[in-house]
Amino acid sequence: MAMLTVENLEASYGAVKALHGISIEVAEGELVALLGVNGVGKSTTLKSISGVLRPVKGTITFLGEPITNKTPERIVRRGISLVPEGREIFGSLTVEENLRLGAFSVYKRDRYKADLEEVFEIFPILKDRFHQAGGLLSGGEQQMLAIARALMAHPKLLMLDEPSLGLSPAMTDQIFALIDSLRERGSTILLVEQNAERALEIVDRAYLLANGAVEFAGTAEELRRKVDIASVYFGDEDATDSCEVTQ
Amino acid sequence: MSVMTRVSALVRRHSTLAILLVPLIVAGIAVNTFGSQLLIDMYTYFCVSLCMVFAVQMFMGNSGILSWTHIGFVGIGAYAAGILSTAPAVKSMGVPNMYPMLVDLNLPVLPSILIGGLVAAAVAAVIGYPLMRLSDFAGVITLFATLIVIHVVMTQWDNVTNGPRTFFGVPDWTTITVGIIAAILVILLAYWFRESALGLRLRATRDDRYAAAAIGIDMVLVRYLTFVVSALVAGIAGGLWAHYITSFSPKAFYMSEMFLLLSMLVIGGSGSISGAFSGTVIVTVARELLRQLESWINNAHVLSFEVYGLTELVMALLMVLVLVWRPGGVIGGQELRWPLIKRSGKDTTPAEEGQAAA
Repeated sequence: MAMLTVENLEASYGAVKALHGISIEVAEGELVALLGVNGVGKSTTLKSISGVLRPVKGTITFLGEPITNKTPERIVRRGISLVPEGREIFGSLTVEENLRLGAFSVYKRDRYKADLEEVFEIFPILKDRFHQAGGLLSGGEQQMLAIARALMAHPKLLMLDEPSLGLSPAMTDQIFALIDSLRERGSTILLVEQNAERALEIVDRAYLLANGAVEFAGTAEELRRKVDIASVYFGDEDATDSCEVTQ
Repeated sequence: MSVMTRVSALVRRHSTLAILLVPLIVAGIAVNTFGSQLLIDMYTYFCVSLCMVFAVQMFMGNSGILSWTHIGFVGIGAYAAGILSTAPAVKSMGVPNMYPMLVDLNLPVLPSILIGGLVAAAVAAVIGYPLMRLSDFAGVITLFATLIVIHVVMTQWDNVTNGPRTFFGVPDWTTITVGIIAAILVILLAYWFRESALGLRLRATRDDRYAAAAIGIDMVLVRYLTFVVSALVAGIAGGLWAHYITSFSPKAFYMSEMFLLLSMLVIGGSGSISGAFSGTVIVTVARELLRQLESWINNAHVLSFEVYGLTELVMALLMVLVLVWRPGGVIGGQELRWPLIKRSGKDTTPAEEGQAAA
């Protein structure tokens, strides 16, 4: 049975409809990616699942229970953590405070210390930066902090929104290796990524979105075989336009 | 770990408190022993100001919302405590229209002050929730409007406050000792609050409210709870002030007084306990010096005209200068820690280096 099931999800920003009935599934232990160009609704899907955005229609089921229209706080408590796009860490708070905030939904003093040790094992750099303000960290370090903060809540499902955005190629490699190692440790991950080529190297399955709907779904292998990834991103005029807008 | 090393570790960790509280207590004892009555009164007033400033700091410093409302809660606490503790005979004479029910009330001073704080907190609890949904300009302007509402009620409800006229006969209870103890307790509370689960969550929403929502922080709720707690402290500070000054009218709880509290926070830096403390010291001292300068200029006829409003003018200019050069306040967002001046590479733990870098 799937851990997370999203059925016919529709969402809009005011009058602008962003999602036209998206259905996806994530099973326990899977690493699943949502791929697609800018503005097709990848982030909107994650925001809807995490409760930050209220869907107009559709149902979201997590571990057999409906979580549609629950508040973000309750959804975090149920075990879904979102690492938002653009590494939204708290810049004026220290690394320690950022991590403590992540742990609040399951806060227990003894467990907190053990969790910290585990996080330091995955991200040794954060131990060195423990008392520095988050805003003074480099982009890659901030991304690590954002992921570490989400891990502190012991999520059953970790959602990563564009973790490689704005990072150097070397740092992108590091982040992807990290996501891969998290999966090895047994985490279930839903990943949103623009860098489809890279994402397909590590994911089990992927959904290709276009215009707020699922255009193609399958294993990484199938996607690579049946869909010309390059053409999706650069082939038609529309895609090229939207890329230029954001560059 | 022996007891001594444990104690020294605790002091090191909370050296901020030692840096602020030890001088506060030592200066207080010195003033009480050697100072004139005028100096003792000024020091008492300074301690009560600290209570008010930290009430505002708890909300403003952690939420990042500029609050004009808190002086209103100070007023509510002052009136509530004053009505409870003042003798019925004095009240029936001083406030002719007061509800008989209120005239008959009479409690010892300390419970009166605490109940005054609860009344202020209750008012905040009733009006606060919708206000806490608003941020930025909308938040500031609605909190400002709320102060006007509270002020109008105070000046018009003469069955309770004696209207715009003076409310007098409040027992003189707030001595320098009471002031110092109250200031210490409030500083400890503000220090603890900043690091508490609620305070940390609130600081997270100040930094980035969307990211805070994404990790499951209910911004409106954490703001609201803090608003109510800070109103409680403001109300208690108001009660202390009422029992120091003994007679007052609603104009003591309005814009110029709130401006003074805000200038203390802005000049020192509202983000940290050290900043709020330093701001209160700087503004209190500067204000007293300016007031004496003003009266000297006027009495000695140094100028061909009389000078008024020098204090407000200089305070406002000081505020502008601080905001231009040090937007975070004189101290900035960080706490003062021991040692105050660091020699490079010596005596600093990695933690402190982190603090210094931040």
